[in-house]
Amino acid sequence: MSELAAFQDAFVAALAERTAAPIAGWLPEDDTELAGLAVYRNTIAKGCVDALAANFPTVASLVGDDWFRAAAALFAREHPPATAALLAYGEAFADWLARFPPAGDLPYLPAMARLDWMWTTALFAPEARPLPAEAFALAPDVLAAARPRLHPSLAFAWFHSGLPGLWLAAREPEPGEMTLAEDPQGVLIVRPEDTVHSRLLDAAGFAFLAAARDGASLGEAITAAAHADPAADLATLFAALIADGVFVGLDLGDSA
Amino acid sequence: MPPTAGLGLKPQHYAEALASDAKGLWFEVHPENYMAAGGPRLRWLEAIRARRPLSLHGVGLSLAADVDPDPGHLAALKALADRFAPFVVSEHLAWSAWRGVHQPDLLPFPRTRAALDRIAANIGRAQDVLGRTILVENPSLYLPLTGHDLDETEFLAELTRRTGCGLLVDVNNVFVSASNLGYAAETYLDALPADAIGEIHLAGHGADEGGSALLIDTHGAPVAEPVWALYRRLIDRIGPRPTLIERDDDIPAFDELMAERDRAHRMLLGTGACACPHAEPAHV
Repeated sequence: MSELAAFQDAFVAALAERTAAPIAGWLPEDDTELAGLAVYRNTIAKGCVDALAANFPTVASLVGDDWFRAAAALFAREHPPATAALLAYGEAFADWLARFPPAGDLPYLPAMARLDWMWTTALFAPEARPLPAEAFALAPDVLAAARPRLHPSLAFAWFHSGLPGLWLAAREPEPGEMTLAEDPQGVLIVRPEDTVHSRLLDAAGFAFLAAARDGASLGEAITAAAHADPAADLATLFAALIADGVFVGLDLGDSA
Repeated sequence: MPPTAGLGLKPQHYAEALASDAKGLWFEVHPENYMAAGGPRLRWLEAIRARRPLSLHGVGLSLAADVDPDPGHLAALKALADRFAPFVVSEHLAWSAWRGVHQPDLLPFPRTRAALDRIAANIGRAQDVLGRTILVENPSLYLPLTGHDLDETEFLAELTRRTGCGLLVDVNNVFVSASNLGYAAETYLDALPADAIGEIHLAGHGADEGGSALLIDTHGAPVAEPVWALYRRLIDRIGPRPTLIERDDDIPAFDELMAERDRAHRMLLGTGACACPHAEPAHV
């Protein structure tokens, strides 16, 4: 191994072990220089923590700055970034929080992290132009057979309680009383242009998008929505998704 | 590119940066913050780039690691350089990526001749992929490492000779490192090859909150007066160069940063060697 590689292994060990011993061979004999090593370690930790605070703003606001920074620093030691693009750092944070003992009395927190991650991922997703409402002015049978292409920024999920509502309330500039509803809720997150848009999704809306994501035609997706909630207003549901900017294309297939 | 003064571009200042009519103003960003498939950040940068020269100042290429530069990172950097046509691309004489982990800092190393070979090769590789030369910045240092074969100024000068790269002189880093390691900042600056210097950085530093006597390159404060004095000394010797005010933490209002930028700008216009006293942005 080259000296440079040996030094880099030793330096990483010194950072992890919080002692200058691994790099003692490259330091003056009379000097353990822990202060200098601490500067590097603190800068690394701050870089990771700042990135996580930017990528998980709702989690940070819910638990407060001190709690968040302490937890994020521990996460960063176990899951350091793999790349220099820290805007994509923290995919494992939600699962990690679910196993983090101090978060045990905050059972909603992993879901908040998961929703923040969906939002952050949508923010940096590829560009695509949503279809305008006019694009859906087709003969009923053609429309029903068309397979929609979904916006690359689109994320949606279903929760067995009101966690999405809690998350949306916590993201308000001045959050009011926050309560966790017991009823299941879905969430839709999409960035049709420059702004990430997020809203609650009902069972029919979630079933529609899940079917569309799996390659269903619009007719099949509407059927899935009707199965999920026979009382759903399907026309309103479809119009809302168009207005959300969820659809970027229609594959009309052979019937076109 | 006329040697005017620029400002590190921060997301909270996008609208003011786009609207500014300051003469000669250019902007610099960390490409790592734009390595995304899409989104408003890239659109803002596109809009601002349409009006202003841009510099890409990398923090993640890890040129001083004993490994080839990460092909994925280089490809992402190349894509941004092709898209935004920066007037300069720069990186650091430091490492951050090692064995699959990215440490978000600029880490030191013993400046051996073998390290020089490796880093020259890494710079060459990066320049080959990018299809252009880059500038390499002197780091801020916090550990009195031993085992160096070359002084940092010799090391940087040798890199320029071997690879054709230029230098980005961070005057604050010189000040911080000189204070931390106990040498004269003036001597260091005087030893740098003038012809290789393509850009200058100015930033603020702070005391170590850990209680040591170390100065920390925080980018979290205004440029200190001794750093302005060193800057004066440098441009008096080498002539004007594109100069950037960097601020990455505790970020104040745009106008406050522009006041620092304007100070650097006036100093550049006042240097006798300036070929373009009423510099407009380069045609882009």
